[in-house]
Amino acid sequence: MQNAKDTFYITLRNRLTQVNPARTILLRSVTRPGILVEEAESPMALPVLDAFTLRWTGLAILPQLPLPLAQMTCEIYYSTAGTQPNSGLDRGRALEEMDAELQQMLSPQCAPKLNYTTTPPGAMLTSIFWSEPEFQPAVPLRDQISRTALVTVWSWQEAGER
Amino acid sequence: MCADLSTQIPCGRALRVAASLLRACGGTTAYLQVPPLTGDQNDTGQIGIDPPNLQLLPLSPAVFHKMRTDLLLPNQPQRYELRISAEAVAAQVAQRQLASASSLFSMASGVIVAGRLFMIEATSSFEDQGEVYLYRILLRDAASSWPLQNPQAGPQS
Repeated sequence: MQNAKDTFYITLRNRLTQVNPARTILLRSVTRPGILVEEAESPMALPVLDAFTLRWTGLAILPQLPLPLAQMTCEIYYSTAGTQPNSGLDRGRALEEMDAELQQMLSPQCAPKLNYTTTPPGAMLTSIFWSEPEFQPAVPLRDQISRTALVTVWSWQEAGER
Repeated sequence: MCADLSTQIPCGRALRVAASLLRACGGTTAYLQVPPLTGDQNDTGQIGIDPPNLQLLPLSPAVFHKMRTDLLLPNQPQRYELRISAEAVAAQVAQRQLASASSLFSMASGVIVAGRLFMIEATSSFEDQGEVYLYRILLRDAASSWPLQNPQAGPQS
């Protein structure tokens, strides 16, 4: 499952650099594309604005198939307070822009699975694939507006894979 | 309505008094856990494979104490309070060439006091004549309690 989670994140991150190269964050002294895995970062008191946060929640294994199929739920959370020149009054537009970017990042809905514990990352035999995003209602909170999109990711469990 | 145009010349009095009081009240050293100046650019650094190589920035004098339990809500984890001299914070901000103390605290992943790791809940500051003289950091116990390996993180005398 971990290979699938890593592959999903790296795929989305690489696609984000194509979709909107200007969306970057400074995290742990590195300027990188504006997407992060929540469980791989230090706990944060406040979510990072104008960035996508991947949060892995649901997990199910479907065993009645030629290979066990792992089905994982990824919550993609993003929030924005708009831009300073517009005094935050464009936060709705900024959120819509992030909705569109996420939709582009998630298409096509598959990627070859890689093992990132080796250097360079090792290609595996199968691919991961995922569902269309289920956009949840936008949540306004004072000067911010946020949304969560739910994506189901499937991955074949290859022999020897944990 | 008009601006306050009275002359106020900060002389650092509050800053020195705060530092002296913290020392007199049993000042200790707290270590702020921050990422290294040159971060990990690799993919493996972003997916939890590479160790983050966090650095420990000493902040002293500081006073650390438990918050009163009657101020906590039921089932709320124990909170702690750390008061740090603004002189110490300013020195670290200047050394790391940061814009402000809030940048320093926002990049910190935790605070180590007497060999124990705490998570930062909130920070606030006290000012006198527009000059910060004391920082107050609200902490809670970290869920993890692995032994800290850095010798700097040992119990303070």
